Amino acid sequence: MLHARREEWPDADAFLEAAYERGWTDGLPVVPATPERVEAFLATSGLAPDTVLGVVPTREVTVTAEHAAINSVMAGCRPEYFPVVVAAVRAHLDEHGNCHSTTGTLSGAAHAVIVNGPIRDELDIAYGAGCLGPGFRANATIGRALRLVIRNVCRAVPGFLDRATFSWPLRYSFCFGEDEAAGDWTPLHVQRGYAPDQSTVTVHSIMRMVSAWDSSSRDPEGVLDTLVAETRYHGIAGDAFLGDGVNVVYVMGREHQRFFFDAGWSKERMQAYLWPRLTAATAGFHDRRVNLGHPENILIVAAGGAGMAETWVLFPHLAWAVTRVVERPGDVPSETAR
Amino acid sequence: MSIVALDPTSGPVEGTARTRLAPRPPSLSGQRLGLVVNGLGCSERFLDALAAQLLATTELDGVVKVVKSSVSVPPDPGDWSRLTEGATVAITGFGG
Repeated sequence: MLHARREEWPDADAFLEAAYERGWTDGLPVVPATPERVEAFLATSGLAPDTVLGVVPTREVTVTAEHAAINSVMAGCRPEYFPVVVAAVRAHLDEHGNCHSTTGTLSGAAHAVIVNGPIRDELDIAYGAGCLGPGFRANATIGRALRLVIRNVCRAVPGFLDRATFSWPLRYSFCFGEDEAAGDWTPLHVQRGYAPDQSTVTVHSIMRMVSAWDSSSRDPEGVLDTLVAETRYHGIAGDAFLGDGVNVVYVMGREHQRFFFDAGWSKERMQAYLWPRLTAATAGFHDRRVNLGHPENILIVAAGGAGMAETWVLFPHLAWAVTRVVERPGDVPSETAR
Repeated sequence: MSIVALDPTSGPVEGTARTRLAPRPPSLSGQRLGLVVNGLGCSERFLDALAAQLLATTELDGVVKVVKSSVSVPPDPGDWSRLTEGATVAITGFGG
């Protein structure tokens, strides 16, 4: 049985105007969360409405599956996207996802939702050309659903518990997949202990996102040295609460990937090359240490299309990158699953 | 055709009855000032300077300063006790 308060409006226009007046939207139109739609979304996950997906103790907030389903409908998701949203909400509300800080911060941190596994192709989650931008329903609405949960349920409303000085366009939505077939690299979720046939979501809170553009290098070391320089220009500070679990994410495009595929470099070899160079002592104002506890804290994701020789660097904001499995009724647990 | 839709919030934002301003003493005379330093930027220098000014210009009874171990967590339990037991008014802030 659904628990949320329900209300009747004379038509869709009246509902939309009320949604704006009550602050239920991110500024864009929303789809009415009718009880029938919400029930259909919940059915794809097999979750009862009152299943708790996580809590924000500092805000006295509990996020249920029903809350997540209502906001997923409003974001424009299809019902089959909902298990991905559930995994994203669970990842974000993990203690080390640090919801209160990453959604209340003056810096306006955003959240990248990175999808791995077979569900990417089942749902048409884009991971090729243009995948970080608009034009893909699954990417746009799954990322937006997480943001509406953060706004409507976790109360990160600008001027209230969202204290961002500027905020960020990425706070509308930011979701993409990994191009797992680009080469023979181990996919992100497999590196993090999941089976190749499992689908997962990794949520990474982002302080800043910088393009490491390098069209001159012609070998792996040259590209990685560019990534090191770009990352160390900003650095990543240590944090007592987060300990050695902080991550940096490199979203590597095809024009950089090919040097590693041609030379037979694995992600593990790249991590081993990067880690000592990133964590070396600060040498000056624009050469700052990157505080990463272990080589595997460097997350490398293949994505994007051809043409531009760049890799995007996703710097963390006071959170770990947290990975959660996408669970659907009827899915057979993988024997190699963690 | 009418539409029935569900409320997406966990409750009205204005339903924050527990959020209210702490009582304001009429003066700082005889009060013990608590300072909570969040660790960002120059916050400690700023609060130290503020405390020095207040000590010089009011009749404060003393200062209890707490520096958080991380910007993303509350004060350590021991510091929290020192603060709640030793201070009668407090100043904190946010930003870097």
